[in-house]
Amino acid sequence: MTAELATPDPASAAPPVTARRSASSGGGLLRYLIVRFLLIIPTIFILVTLVFVLMRSTGDPITAAQGGKLTAAELAKRIHDAGYDRPILVQYFEYIGQVFTGNFGNTITDNRPVTEVLYTYGGATLELAFYALIVAFIVGIPLGMVAAYFRDNAPDAFLRIFAILCYATPVFFAGLLLKLIFAVWLHVLPVAGRASTGAELQMQVLPGKTGIYLIDAFQTGNPDVIGDVLSHAVLPGIALGLLTAGVFLRLVRTNLIGTLGTDYVDAARSRGVNEFRLVRKHAYRPALIPIITVIGLQIALLLGGAVLTETTFEWKGLGFQLAQYLASRDFVAVQGIVALLAVIVAVTNFIVDVIAALIDPRVRY
Amino acid sequence: MSRLSTPSRPRRSLASRIPLFDQVRSSIGLQRGMLVAGLVITLAFVLVAILAPVIAPFGFSQLRSDGVAFGAQQPPSSSHLLGTTVGGYDVFSRVLWGAQTALLTIIVSVLLSIFIGIALGLISGYLGGWLDRVLVVVCDAVYAFPSLLLAIVMSIVISGGRSDLTGGILAASISITVVFIPQYFRVIRAETVRIKNEAYVESAKVIGTRAPRIILRHVLRNATRSLPLLLTLNSSEALLTLAGLGFLGFGIEPSAAAEWGYDLNKALSDVTSGIWWTALFPGLAIVLAVLGITLVGESLNDLADPRLRGRRAAVDSGAPSADNGAVPHGAGASGAPLIDSNEEARS
Amino acid sequence: MRSASTRTVRGIALLAGTAAAALVLAGCSGGGGSSTGSAITIGTTDKVTVLDPAGSYDNGSFAVMNQVFPFLMNTPYGSPDVEPDIAEKAEFTSPTEYTVTLKPGLKFANGHDLTSSDVKFSFDRQLAIADPNGPSSLLYNLDSVAAPDDTTVVFTLKTENDQVFPQILSSPAGPIVDEEVFAADKVTSDKEIVDGKAFAGQYEITSYDFNNLIAYKAYSGYKGVLGAAKTDVVNVKYYADASNLKLDIQEGNIDVAFRSLSATDISDLSTNDKVKVVNGPGGEIRYIVFNFDTQPYGAKTPEADAAKALAVRKAVADVVDRQEIATQVYKDTYTPLYSYVPQGLTGATESLKPLYGDGNGGADVEKAKADLTAAGVTVPVKLSLQYNTDHYGPGSSDEYALIKDQLDSSGLFTVDLQSTEYVQYAKDRVADAYPAYQLGWFPDYSDADNYLTPFFLNPTGKESFLQSHYQNPAVDSLVLEQGVTTDPAARTALIEKIQDTVAGDLPTIPLLQGAQVAVTGTTVTGTSDTLDASFKFRYAALAKG
Repeated sequence: MTAELATPDPASAAPPVTARRSASSGGGLLRYLIVRFLLIIPTIFILVTLVFVLMRSTGDPITAAQGGKLTAAELAKRIHDAGYDRPILVQYFEYIGQVFTGNFGNTITDNRPVTEVLYTYGGATLELAFYALIVAFIVGIPLGMVAAYFRDNAPDAFLRIFAILCYATPVFFAGLLLKLIFAVWLHVLPVAGRASTGAELQMQVLPGKTGIYLIDAFQTGNPDVIGDVLSHAVLPGIALGLLTAGVFLRLVRTNLIGTLGTDYVDAARSRGVNEFRLVRKHAYRPALIPIITVIGLQIALLLGGAVLTETTFEWKGLGFQLAQYLASRDFVAVQGIVALLAVIVAVTNFIVDVIAALIDPRVRY
Repeated sequence: MSRLSTPSRPRRSLASRIPLFDQVRSSIGLQRGMLVAGLVITLAFVLVAILAPVIAPFGFSQLRSDGVAFGAQQPPSSSHLLGTTVGGYDVFSRVLWGAQTALLTIIVSVLLSIFIGIALGLISGYLGGWLDRVLVVVCDAVYAFPSLLLAIVMSIVISGGRSDLTGGILAASISITVVFIPQYFRVIRAETVRIKNEAYVESAKVIGTRAPRIILRHVLRNATRSLPLLLTLNSSEALLTLAGLGFLGFGIEPSAAAEWGYDLNKALSDVTSGIWWTALFPGLAIVLAVLGITLVGESLNDLADPRLRGRRAAVDSGAPSADNGAVPHGAGASGAPLIDSNEEARS
Repeated sequence: MRSASTRTVRGIALLAGTAAAALVLAGCSGGGGSSTGSAITIGTTDKVTVLDPAGSYDNGSFAVMNQVFPFLMNTPYGSPDVEPDIAEKAEFTSPTEYTVTLKPGLKFANGHDLTSSDVKFSFDRQLAIADPNGPSSLLYNLDSVAAPDDTTVVFTLKTENDQVFPQILSSPAGPIVDEEVFAADKVTSDKEIVDGKAFAGQYEITSYDFNNLIAYKAYSGYKGVLGAAKTDVVNVKYYADASNLKLDIQEGNIDVAFRSLSATDISDLSTNDKVKVVNGPGGEIRYIVFNFDTQPYGAKTPEADAAKALAVRKAVADVVDRQEIATQVYKDTYTPLYSYVPQGLTGATESLKPLYGDGNGGADVEKAKADLTAAGVTVPVKLSLQYNTDHYGPGSSDEYALIKDQLDSSGLFTVDLQSTEYVQYAKDRVADAYPAYQLGWFPDYSDADNYLTPFFLNPTGKESFLQSHYQNPAVDSLVLEQGVTTDPAARTALIEKIQDTVAGDLPTIPLLQGAQVAVTGTTVTGTSDTLDASFKFRYAALAKG
């Protein structure tokens, strides 16, 4: 596999993300990137195998759907007909064989191609992740800079507590409070869902429908539809975004404080550059790589689908759907979605590494 | 890329061996405030958990006292300080009992993760070779798995679907363990690999001491900077996963134990009907417990990181600039990327 | 291709550029629903799996099929009994031949003719596909289907004079589909069905967004027993979370909420002036099953004793207070059930009421104590009780916690209460793992037979759905007899007799019957017309304004 992974390096005392990117003595950027890219394949393979084994030990989809209706004999017959009583290895190789030919199969419970499921719900999740990131960036990064600037003073204390509260509050609890305030008491925002009925119907008939409502809304060219879609995005975006914003705030603060103490910032300070400019200009750039690393992973996580947020706000995306398929033991669907999640996480990590390498030439590979 | 090894520390005095004593003493101002606040909240949480049988007015599954049913959704009153739930349980008692379930989950998950993570990290780092590479790739893969969904599957696999206390706690703990093992693994493995080639290990080998023991001792001593933070993250994520499972309907049933996430889930329809007391208190309990643990963790992380120790302390220590070059890889990110995993169970 | 991708890129750019500002502004534009004209929007937490009748056997999918596919036999509004739907007449022309004559000139919404050939096709493919998730097992008595001419269908049955068969034609196995759109040998995808407009019920689907939004338009070509739809356009929104459904009906964003609001939501909404809560009889029942082998004193326990076992079952029936459960846990959205056939169906009795408890439906601990002592049972009896958390609604845990509490506080029982996730539960219960356990039932068709045959017909070697090792040859022969008794009055008498006999044996203890509850805006009418004992919610009955 790769020499990089086994190379001793004190810096990799840090957790996964950074450690994975640890510097080494040889190789060169290109070789490093190729190896990193190829590692995506075993990662996915391991995950799919794991999911396969776990899912098969939890029962079959036919009992899940029909156990309340059919006699035991009829159930057994149907399970046999569907082949779920065959040895697990036979089923496993059959599935892996299919996947290698690019066929992810049809979902068991609702008979839809897995690729279509991924496409449909992936779009919804992508859109929610996009809104959440906007909130996270707008709230988290500037506030992190402010906290670093005022460090160890009252505003810093306040912001740090705010950040901790952001990720200490379960999103379903926050979501409930947001819904009560904005939808029920103030009547300014919708309760849940991605758009109201009328808007959804208009978007349904679009020829170039993407499933990403914001794009579809702009395609209709109807300002009401755009407003409707955006108003539905506000609460889920805030609920999920604040969670991420808390992470960003802390991250930016920590890393800025780290670089604010460095020699060259000190040098700038002694030249009389004012403190705010220091934060904005001089300290920001060196702090960027760890920030990008973590942001990358956050994005990967958001794209994986936020089950709790999606459930709270009726946002039918990948995470929500995955939980549904899990409950109905739809092996095929679960395996397909998890494989996609693995690809997303792996590819995002890869991209983050490339960007980090481009930003900081000091990183040798 | 700096390759400075962590300087070995002088022997510590007896008093300073009390956990957290050093940290509280060395902290100043805001940081001390945060650390102390965190410690107080966490301690209160632990005390409530231990003393729940004594201080709770009723049992967690008690529906009537003296033959009279409590009634469902009764507002707060003198007999039921925080009212009763939709199932007719006493909210105050269940909030207190819930701390016990949460604490158990935290303990089980932390113990499991630490032992397995450290063992794997030591083996992998010390032996090296193909085993090491395979473990690294497997850990990367597992790390990418959404922990809440893993928890759902685990709750079915582990307990055979029975929603009792042991099943529920194990489901939450093991799924969190699976996600955190890679993190302990990383820390321990890297330290092991580094120390393996140190001169004193070589010399120990020469005089016949068994190397693994030495390594374990040195690794643990050097890894103490990252471990406390990992521990608190591990704890708060275990708690939130338990709550998330409860919220999604895979939690522990009310007759088996009190569980905040479950109560919150049951209270959803209450809130929209103007019954606020059934959701508010379990929700606040979760927030407070996680807040306390996170405050402790973040404070410890800051104190362990010279650059974040606060200006005065940082100047005093005089050490920081040495590892500036390592910011992208080492210390600078040490706290931060950990937080990301923290979010999986919450979103 | 190129233009599409350019559009997407431009879309993303536009999206990124404006979204931030728009998010802030959006608050002002509000989220009001934009239903046009008198269109009705219905919200539900049901889940649809597959539109094809051969590929799904669940309430959510069947609810959609009921709107868009015609049936040979159907239940008219307000009645539990079936009549010809798109047929002119249907009758036994010989003991094993059931002949249906279709109305002439029927068409599907896509213009294809609906003839006897489509009918034959619909049933043949059910049997040929026999999908693991399909309802083909309901056609257990169907031997073959013939279509001698365009309007005549002849069903050849395996047994004579099957009185249930007309009901089966209205069940999930009964929707008639278009042979020019559906495949004969595999489940047809939702997209092909919607694109092919293979509908001939009261409505056709105009827009189908899976488990999110279905738009219906009235189909004028439907000539069946239910009549034309009162409302031209109906949209149905699918919710994942009942509290969102509740908030939307409360805020007036939707017109009707049907299945399934929590008891708390319903009781809160019933005090709200802006909505109406409409109740109808429900077909859903809840009951406790005893495993005759493993229950206390059961046949395979060390201290096996049939008389003591019966005494234990009777004591449970004496002690449970159904009204307390219905009121405290379900806020009276469920009602006490005192027999095996629920109220509202032809032949329903209240057989358990005089036999157990205080004789008036309430609990009687003394009577239970006397029963147990008379049989020589030592109290307290250890009873292991199982229930399921994720299949029979969120109330289950509170329901069973209360039952445990009632049994425990009588002093006669020590209950060990356990819950298990559904798939495991379904496997365990037929493997004799549970001495006593919770089950619920939702009927396939609204006939008393559907509450008797699946449970109590246990001929040797072929156990019923319950598989609880209960056997009573007298009950077996009565159940078989009612199925072939052609005289309605005689059949009703038999059904009543079965309930009385089974009530003496107590293989299960019926607890509750669920009501159908719909919550509507104040201007919506017609809801009570369709909340009937057919247990089919027809959108066509609803009107607004």
